[in-house]
Amino acid sequence: MTTAVVPSRMPRGSAICLAPLVLAAAVLAGTAIGETRLPLATVLRTLANHLWGAGYPVDGIEAGIVWSYRLPRAIVAACCGAGLALTGVVLQALLRNPLADPYLMGLSAGASTGAVLVTVAGVGGGAISMSLGALTGALVAFGCVVALARAVGGGAGGGRETQAAAAIILAGIAGSQLFNALTAFTIARSANAEQARGIMFWLMGNLSGIRWEDVAACTLVSLVGVGLCLWHRRGLDAFAFGADSAASLGVNVPVLRGTLVTATAIMVGVLVSKVGAIGFVGLVVPHAMRFLVGTRHDRLVPASALAGAVFLVAADVVSRVLVPGQVLPIGVVTALVGAPAFALILVRGARR
Amino acid sequence: MKVGVHGLFARIHRAPLLEDVSFHLSQGELFGLVGPNGSGKSTLLRCLAGLRRPSSGRVLADGADLARLPARTRARRIALVEQHADTMDRLTVREAVELGRTPHLSPLRGWSAADAAAVEAALAAVEMADFAARHWHTLSGGEQQRVHIARALAQTPDLLLLDEPTNHLDIRHQLSLMALVRGLPITRVIALHDLNQAMACHRVAVLHRGRLAAVGPPGDVLAEDMLARVFGVAGSSREDPDGSRHLRFSHAL
Ligand SMILES: Nc1ncnc2c1ncn2[C@@H]1O[C@H](COP(=O)(O)OP(=O)(O)OP(=O)(O)O)[C@@H](O)[C@H]1O
Ligand SMILES: [Mg+2]
Repeated sequence: MTTAVVPSRMPRGSAICLAPLVLAAAVLAGTAIGETRLPLATVLRTLANHLWGAGYPVDGIEAGIVWSYRLPRAIVAACCGAGLALTGVVLQALLRNPLADPYLMGLSAGASTGAVLVTVAGVGGGAISMSLGALTGALVAFGCVVALARAVGGGAGGGRETQAAAAIILAGIAGSQLFNALTAFTIARSANAEQARGIMFWLMGNLSGIRWEDVAACTLVSLVGVGLCLWHRRGLDAFAFGADSAASLGVNVPVLRGTLVTATAIMVGVLVSKVGAIGFVGLVVPHAMRFLVGTRHDRLVPASALAGAVFLVAADVVSRVLVPGQVLPIGVVTALVGAPAFALILVRGARR
Repeated sequence: MKVGVHGLFARIHRAPLLEDVSFHLSQGELFGLVGPNGSGKSTLLRCLAGLRRPSSGRVLADGADLARLPARTRARRIALVEQHADTMDRLTVREAVELGRTPHLSPLRGWSAADAAAVEAALAAVEMADFAARHWHTLSGGEQQRVHIARALAQTPDLLLLDEPTNHLDIRHQLSLMALVRGLPITRVIALHDLNQAMACHRVAVLHRGRLAAVGPPGDVLAEDMLARVFGVAGSSREDPDGSRHLRFSHAL
């Protein structure tokens, strides 16, 4: 009879209360732990001073580390984790492909091309920042991929929506390859070894340059992203049996797919331009959360956003303290931790 | 729902799939769609469901042009059970059936008791209530087919389109499904391969290479020459002792 296990359902109210607490705890941990050991009291006092002018006496340098470096860094890490995981959820659902990840649409390849053109080839003559170059590159690459997908998908017949999904994936692969080749070409032509190493580090994720000015944009895009996905949660659910089935359930497939793919692409474009292309989060967190909370998007969207945020804050802490005196690229940590965790989830999931 | 199909053409890269198909369905009619493989049954059903835009011609649902209807309005009135639809998601039977309520819900309007009742009724109608907590991928092909039908029933449509719904079903479930479909008060279009099941319809349409070969009561339409010309089989219709008509096939021509 009913042998298969149904994911246990937590009462909704407690989950809603718990989520911000977990997130706040993660950000606090991200602020408190680092290479320079600071007592928790110092961290809390600094935060209290800034948040409601408590006026505790604290060391100026220590307060600077906490407030100007670690806190914005932890907040941006949380935003990136949430945004990347969310994008994975959306693309895997809409394109019916378990391997879809946030960089599928050529975003990381385009961002690297943009960054390299600005830093190595000197495009813009120093007037535009690497981050702006990366954002422009990401969006240009996304535009190319969308144009290609439309050209490929146009005129397709029966099961049209399904074919459109395949066209998007293939166009994304082609676009990524093209922009990666452009990046490699630019580096080979004009970069010295030092620049090439810097670019490689940035591509694997680098949060060390994050300051308060970056926080607003990252927070805004990830909050809008969460809201938009929650608003369209039923539409995302309806894709379970494919795009044609979603259409027969009253989902306007081209509009929903266009809206969510474009919105998540802008979100990831902004995030990549700030911190580089952090891998693995967008691919793995959604799968892990499907095992834990099921496939319904009213739970999957908030659960993935939260898990992605906590995971990336934790990965950032690990990347700072793992090797003394050196900060690892955060992408290395996400893959090192994420791959075995993912394997474990898969094995346990298959057993039940 | 009353349906009017007017001069429907559908093509793909210039190859015609449907040519000049016209017919009318009256409210509450059970309409059978038969024809050999590739004759255009699924294509016609997709046009009726509004999933495929005809290259010319119109489908009118209670007088309203289907192409102009918003997707959500359309899905509240028309449900389609596709020939093939599978998922890799780990969803339960109940969750799969709940998807049928999608067109009745909105981002702000949550799940209500009426939605839950529609889902329970749909599960019971296909005798899948005991399986509600099972995962989709643990079901047999026939059980999955019954869940698809429950999902369409949960949509509470006025027009139900079924593409070979008796596929994969054992004989008992074939008969109980046909009895279920016959008992529904709504307009139904059902694509079938078993011509004897088609004999239970009010009217049948025979599709042959994208054209309508005939429309009418099954006893008149599925005659010896039609079976030979369209299906390429030798067969004839017999009267059973209880007065119903039954087709016997002897060999392929
Ligand atoms: N995307 C497509 N590209 C090319 N040909 C197509 C496409 N979709 C359908 N066709 C062709 O259109 C014809 C009608 O297909 P359709 O699926 O409507 O047939 P059917 O009557 O449902 O057949 P079956 O009994 O096998 O289900 C077939 O010859 C099929 O090969
Ligand atoms: Mg068919």
